[in-house]
Amino acid sequence: MKRKKYWKICCGLAILLSLITFSPLIIPQGVHEPILMGVPYTLWTSFIITVLLVILTYIGTIVHPGVHKEEKDL
Amino acid sequence: MIFWVWVFGIIYVGLLIFASLKSYKKGRTAEEFMMAGSNVGLILGVLTFAAALFSTFTFLGMPDFFRINGVGAWIFLAVSDGAMVFLILWFGYHIRMRVGKKEFRGVSGLLSSCYGNKWAGYVFFLSAFLFLIPYVGIQIQGIAIFMNAAFPDSLPAWGWSAAIVFIMLVYSEIGGLKAIIFSDAIQGLLLLVVIWIIGSFCLSHFGGIAPMFERVGEIKEGLLSTPGPEGLLTPQFLFASFIVILMIPITQPQFTTRIVVMKSMKTMHLMAVSLGAFAILVILPTIFIGMYGVDKYTNVGRDEFFANAFLHDQPNFVAALAIIGLIAAGLSTTNAQIFALGSELRGLLKGDEKTIMLKTKIGIFIFSLIALCFSVIVIDQLVLLARVSFTGTALMAPMVCLGILSKRKVSPAIIVLSFLGLVIFLLSLAGIVPSVLAGIRIDLILFFTLSLSAVVIYFLGKEEKQVIPMQNN
Repeated sequence: MKRKKYWKICCGLAILLSLITFSPLIIPQGVHEPILMGVPYTLWTSFIITVLLVILTYIGTIVHPGVHKEEKDL
Repeated sequence: MIFWVWVFGIIYVGLLIFASLKSYKKGRTAEEFMMAGSNVGLILGVLTFAAALFSTFTFLGMPDFFRINGVGAWIFLAVSDGAMVFLILWFGYHIRMRVGKKEFRGVSGLLSSCYGNKWAGYVFFLSAFLFLIPYVGIQIQGIAIFMNAAFPDSLPAWGWSAAIVFIMLVYSEIGGLKAIIFSDAIQGLLLLVVIWIIGSFCLSHFGGIAPMFERVGEIKEGLLSTPGPEGLLTPQFLFASFIVILMIPITQPQFTTRIVVMKSMKTMHLMAVSLGAFAILVILPTIFIGMYGVDKYTNVGRDEFFANAFLHDQPNFVAALAIIGLIAAGLSTTNAQIFALGSELRGLLKGDEKTIMLKTKIGIFIFSLIALCFSVIVIDQLVLLARVSFTGTALMAPMVCLGILSKRKVSPAIIVLSFLGLVIFLLSLAGIVPSVLAGIRIDLILFFTLSLSAVVIYFLGKEEKQVIPMQNN
């Protein structure tokens, strides 16, 4: 039951991260500041989002409710 | 350079021959030939998925895309890939549960069985055929252009294309999907190594990341933000691209097959995570190559940029590696796509297995010839043509998801609607139907209309008793 809840939270976060990518928060048109370690704003923020999505995928592999279901069924 | 091309070329061809022979097994079954025995482990799984995904589109197309459109290109591919690997967890679970113990005979066959209607399989196959073949063609062409630049006056472009198709057919015929997966592993690693060597060289040209963006900002400030100097990377374009890339594992059969043939659910899950990390590692150096192009080749054409950045500016052995890496990138993707079309065809055929396999192999040969013809006649930008290919197949996603997820008896209306969506999209490509309606791209309108229709059809469907999967003897 807990797995299902955590999996749903992961899905919600993945959708949220994906949606904010296309908002002015990540892609303000024509704006490249604030710069982080020389990297323009849109690039460093979207890089972080990509890394977070991969981390969420990893967490998803742990909490996915069906991770052992196939082995049981087969 | 020629010396190094021979050295790396011989090693590469040797490894391909080794992969084919290792996979060859006398008296193998059709399932072993087409589906690699459905027993692919983690490392092979990651590398084959990555090699099928990252092609000349990534190797050549992405540096050029960064060079022309700037940093927003990261969102176009990397963020979309990050979300795609998460989706693999969700979709992979459902399709593997749906396939169960049955023999997987391609998505077309599975859809025909899910809907109890052969037209579902035909429509899916049609979209895969229409949109994968031109993409395969342009990749073969990309390699041929590159080889022509490296060895002018040796072979005409079509000669290179024909040679590539010949190699592809030979090793897939000898070893089947297993040979393709083994060679993908070699090619995936090669791609990663080569792109980093060239990317590091390009980064060292600037002396670091901060000086690189500083210099690019001086040349063209618009490259440091969206929508880029060409105005292409608008939120709507990026979102529409995100949707179609997200749908790749659902609608492009070469990826769906790779999800299904993984050894277990857990291996498939770990493959998804590793693929995400691999995607970041592969796309990152393409920024450096693109920014190098901004500094040195800002106003030149695509072919001149490729020839200079990948060949003439590199030490001889790196240029030779780039040639072999590019062949590897293109060959693995085209091979995966052509072979997947063969698997899809197999799923639609009826009769005894021997005749089906013969027809499938003839089909693979014919698909290769058609792709070869396209490689000679099609002219377009790699990235934008790839995007059209992803869009065309993505329109099938609502039909695929409804068929696989629904336990209800649903109306076949979604099959007709998907076919209509495909026709409208083709008409928009031909300029007969407008590509933008009320300020919204037609691909987005079609995708959301089909998705909404799938939801409505699901709720109108009748509850069905649980069907026990057939035993596969």
